[in-house]
Amino acid sequence: MGRYLGRQLLTIIPTLFLSIVINFALLHLAPGDPARIYAGQDIATEAQIEATRRALGLDDPLPVQFLRYLKELAQGNLGISFAYRRPVLDLILDRMPATLLLTGTSAVIAFVGGALLGAAAGRRTMSRLDLSLSFLSYTFFAIPAFWLGLLLILIFASKLGWFPTSGMRDVRAGYTGWRAWLDVAHHMVLPTLTLVLVQMPIFYRITRASVVQQQREDYVTTFRATGMPHGRIFRRYAMRNALLPTVTVFGLSLGFVVTGAALVEIVFAWPGIGRLTLDAVFRRDYPLLLGIYLLLAVTVSLAILLTDIVYAALDPRIRLR
Amino acid sequence: MNEALAVPLPAARRRGRARAAWRAYAASRSGVIGLVMLAVIAAAALLAPALAPSDPFALGAARFLRPGAEGHPLGTDHLGRDVLSQILYGARLSLTIGFVAAGIAAVVGIVVGSIAGYFGGWVDVILSRITDMFLIIPAFFLIIVVVATLGNGIIYVMVVIGLTSWPTNARLMRAQVLTLRERTFVQALVALGESRSRILLRHIVPNGIQPIIANSTLQIASAILIEAGLSFLGLGDPNKASWGRMINDERASIMTAWWPSVFPGIAILVTVLAFYLIGDGLAQALSPRERQSGT
Repeated sequence: MGRYLGRQLLTIIPTLFLSIVINFALLHLAPGDPARIYAGQDIATEAQIEATRRALGLDDPLPVQFLRYLKELAQGNLGISFAYRRPVLDLILDRMPATLLLTGTSAVIAFVGGALLGAAAGRRTMSRLDLSLSFLSYTFFAIPAFWLGLLLILIFASKLGWFPTSGMRDVRAGYTGWRAWLDVAHHMVLPTLTLVLVQMPIFYRITRASVVQQQREDYVTTFRATGMPHGRIFRRYAMRNALLPTVTVFGLSLGFVVTGAALVEIVFAWPGIGRLTLDAVFRRDYPLLLGIYLLLAVTVSLAILLTDIVYAALDPRIRLR
Repeated sequence: MNEALAVPLPAARRRGRARAAWRAYAASRSGVIGLVMLAVIAAAALLAPALAPSDPFALGAARFLRPGAEGHPLGTDHLGRDVLSQILYGARLSLTIGFVAAGIAAVVGIVVGSIAGYFGGWVDVILSRITDMFLIIPAFFLIIVVVATLGNGIIYVMVVIGLTSWPTNARLMRAQVLTLRERTFVQALVALGESRSRILLRHIVPNGIQPIIANSTLQIASAILIEAGLSFLGLGDPNKASWGRMINDERASIMTAWWPSVFPGIAILVTVLAFYLIGDGLAQALSPRERQSGT
């Protein structure tokens, strides 16, 4: 197992390095001059722009800039943001909790709900429950998340007034202690609901498909022949096996948890990584963007590694290959 | 997607198989419903100039006319533009982007996947690594960076979406080629002295292409959603009517007038749903195993 793990870890390194190279090249080769933006677009003289370019370290040839970036990176330094004039790592860590809270909560709810509904539908295919759930899953899978968020705001926040329209906490109220937590929870309901509704179809469909497949397996037929009650076969054996693919997809989706909710964050003015990323794109904040992309590549790689480990633990054949 | 069993058959008998596949497709309710929906949307897009009550960008009418107003069945937006006309013209953009982007993704995926699978060895290692890397890259943000820097013409949007969504196709194609390569009919062609490129182009790719077709309907759907997301961020083509941009333009006034932002969302939903349903029907038609289980 140890050797298997080591080998998997080693394959991550070239992938990560390549993604750093590609991200760096793409950002720096793309047109659009950050120096012009940060020198003040309209009024700046050529000399001012040149000075800004030098101050941002953009006057060196690209390979020099890249080597400097790698050297800093090796020392754990992600650089200073052009726009915020603060260390990139601090900015990311500031925004991380809000995003993790929102996306983590919704991923777990979507996983549990989708798996339960998928199992219920897969047990009795072509039943009325199965047909209506399958249709609903297609519908919610087809809805643009940002538009669903707007609809929920329109109905539950502005018409019914049950929930706040945006933000993460009521700044004017200045709650402390448990009231502050309750306030965040209240703000979280609509964005969480949006993300749950658009993610649940994925877990639903995968669980349903693998439940259908598991029930056709020989061991289920054998158990039936021994007279074991159908419900028990399902709960104790078929369901457990059927959940494996769903767990895999859950693991992979965790990799995208960091940035996956960007548009929903914007609709609800949620102060997370997604909004930070989009701001960075529009303001050509190279160091910040590179930092966020690196974070994303690392989380995705780790999520894939984690699913590999779970697989290897479950299936010894994989380890031996 | 499911790996359809590719039954190698000479071209003459392929037609009979196509008829059987069509029968299987027609038997799936979702596939037929999806096809009817797509036909309606495509007709709306093609006939937009004839069907639209007015020019989608004409500013003449009063602002925020309610749906059902004289000459404006779906009302007008905050600039007095007709909502129905914009939705009809928006269908053109969405369908174009969906088909072209998915087409690019299919071509690149087929080329990369079949070369990797057929030639194997170091070619396979390198191409597979590149494919995996593209799977890890945050595609949506990459698309945003490119469109925000290169410009927001419809061409860029289509090409970038296409060039970031080919990896699933490449993986499907590679898996298909790996099994097809070992089949007797390919071995026979090798023995007959057929050239490698001819075997790959004329025999392996046509026989292994089914999962790509099913996957492409999903990619059309996702390209339409990505375009909507881009336009929602204000990164769409400003000279084309776009559903995503309509939602972005009108979201600020959603409390006063819901219709200019709600109707385009319904249009996106219905269009994307049509492609999902067609994909469902295709999956059942192309894979015997799915056919038994049904959806």
